[in-house]
Amino acid sequence: MRTLTLFLLAISAFAQKPAFTVGWSVYAGWTPYYYMNKAGILRKWADKYGISIKVQRFDYAPSLDAFVARNIDACAMTNMEALDMPAASGVPTTVVLIGDYSNGNDALLVRNGLQLKDLAGKKLLLVQKTVSEYLFDRAMTINGLRDEIKRVRLVNTSDSDIATAYLGDTSASAVVTWKPMVSQILKQKGIASLFNSSQIPGEILDLTVVRTDVLNRPDGAGQKFAKALAGAWFEMLSQMHTDKILAAIAEGSQDTLESYKEQLSTTKMFYTPQSAVDFGASPGLKEKMALVRQFCFDHGLLGANTKSVDDVAIRYPDGSVQGKPDRVRLFFDLAYMQQAAQGKL
Amino acid sequence: MSAGFLLIHAKPGRTWTTLLSWTLFALGIALYFYVSQARHRDNPEDRVMPTVTQMARGMFDAALKPAEDDEAQAPATTFTQRFLGSMLWKDTKATSRRFFYSMLLLIPAVLLGLHMGLFPYVGAFFLRFVLFFDKIVALSLLPILFIAFGIDELAKIMLIVIGVTPTIILDTFNLTRAVPAEQTVKAFTLGAGDFDVAYRVVLKQIAPRVLNSIRLNLKAVMLFLFAGEMIASTDGLAYRIALLRRHMGMDVIIPYVLWVAMLLFLVDFGMRLLNRQLHPWFRES
Repeated sequence: MRTLTLFLLAISAFAQKPAFTVGWSVYAGWTPYYYMNKAGILRKWADKYGISIKVQRFDYAPSLDAFVARNIDACAMTNMEALDMPAASGVPTTVVLIGDYSNGNDALLVRNGLQLKDLAGKKLLLVQKTVSEYLFDRAMTINGLRDEIKRVRLVNTSDSDIATAYLGDTSASAVVTWKPMVSQILKQKGIASLFNSSQIPGEILDLTVVRTDVLNRPDGAGQKFAKALAGAWFEMLSQMHTDKILAAIAEGSQDTLESYKEQLSTTKMFYTPQSAVDFGASPGLKEKMALVRQFCFDHGLLGANTKSVDDVAIRYPDGSVQGKPDRVRLFFDLAYMQQAAQGKL
Repeated sequence: MSAGFLLIHAKPGRTWTTLLSWTLFALGIALYFYVSQARHRDNPEDRVMPTVTQMARGMFDAALKPAEDDEAQAPATTFTQRFLGSMLWKDTKATSRRFFYSMLLLIPAVLLGLHMGLFPYVGAFFLRFVLFFDKIVALSLLPILFIAFGIDELAKIMLIVIGVTPTIILDTFNLTRAVPAEQTVKAFTLGAGDFDVAYRVVLKQIAPRVLNSIRLNLKAVMLFLFAGEMIASTDGLAYRIALLRRHMGMDVIIPYVLWVAMLLFLVDFGMRLLNRQLHPWFRES
């Protein structure tokens, strides 16, 4: 009888704890969520703050939909999607963790030794209106071929089939995609990489974002949620140097240790909270976000009703705002990473 | 009267029938408005459930503004010209073309089914294979399709062919077998040849049912077509939907979906009319 009462008490105590959900999708920089959850690191930190955190794996696009629909509280996404999905849909979003940036994970590949200047009139496979198109846009711009962009024939191709589609169809001259597809395609003879994200370091950021209204919940549980996430995240990253742990993480995406290590080699992870804070506080972040938001606006990703790039404004840790101050929708908040760096979590 | 209200012998009046048949539409629309309004009160920039004004504007832009990727041509002036240069028309044209080709490819499927049903050797040769092929989930073979047929039109049309033709073949086969043997015997005794029987006796008789069977499969054709366009393409209705999904352009997606539904309904309606014109003797029994 006593055990039953205790059990019921435990259940009711559990039920009263504020509960949060974080969504992630398969990507080298986000798969650690799988291990954090499995190994109990997240649970430990959640318990410390008296909350409960549920981790849910999604495909990338549905995870964004779920976040915009307010079905989940936090989500792993890139800086571009944070801007053009939740922020542009009027769901104020706060970046609480800067996890990594793509440092070669995304690449533009060609066959038959083509050059960027030869691409006009050729077929290029990519997932349109995503970082892939951004990478292509930047590659052409950096090489002074901006006017040629419109003349390349873009074929919107689903990421789940892009590798076979490109390898199978020799009439497609070029492809932009990300790892592990890039590695898979490069194994074929005669295909070379022309441009990759290490040439635009820090522009494709992989973040963990929390809905601003969740973060500012009156009961303060949102703050606890962000703190627990930050604490668990950096504890996880500090362990990511043994093969055993890396293999356990790779399992989260049905990947092998070798393949996961290879992906990590082109991912600039911010392993320490201080490095993430330094990056977040650097003036470079604003310049890079300016490029990204201009791209989003030019491609209509901020919505047809958004008449100006300034309508979806971004606030930086130093308090400066890019865009209209009354329309801030994306916030960079370094507080949680800072507290992690100072050991105050 | 009261007991008979909902039962088999009830005879609802014309007003009642009309009213009842539109109730669910009204309910659905009302529910949408209600939820959409609530969401917009909560978040004026909500893009998940756009308001009617937003959708009207989205559709207006899609139907009358020049397609984005076209280079600036001579500015269109009249309404028709503007519509013909629009994104909506371009997408509809591309999708319709693929749809039309796949429908054409169903004709050989019908003929094959007919021959399988009538000519024992043809039946023996094909039947088992088609039965097996019918159970293949076409979408899971995509990588092979890409390698075999490239990523252009052919792969998309082949996806439809693989997905839909086995059903049509088998259905025609069954319909052919259902034609009473007495009729073929009679035709033979009246001096008909094998092919006279096939085309002028059996095919004529099963044609309306075959058309109905194709009508029922229209949705499957469209599903495969959409899957193909979403996976790799440069134009088409599903291509646009896939692109817009990437930034929650529901204000255009919802009108697009309604537009597709209307087109499909029109095709279906057209085929029903055609069926009645061609086979006035046919009564569904």
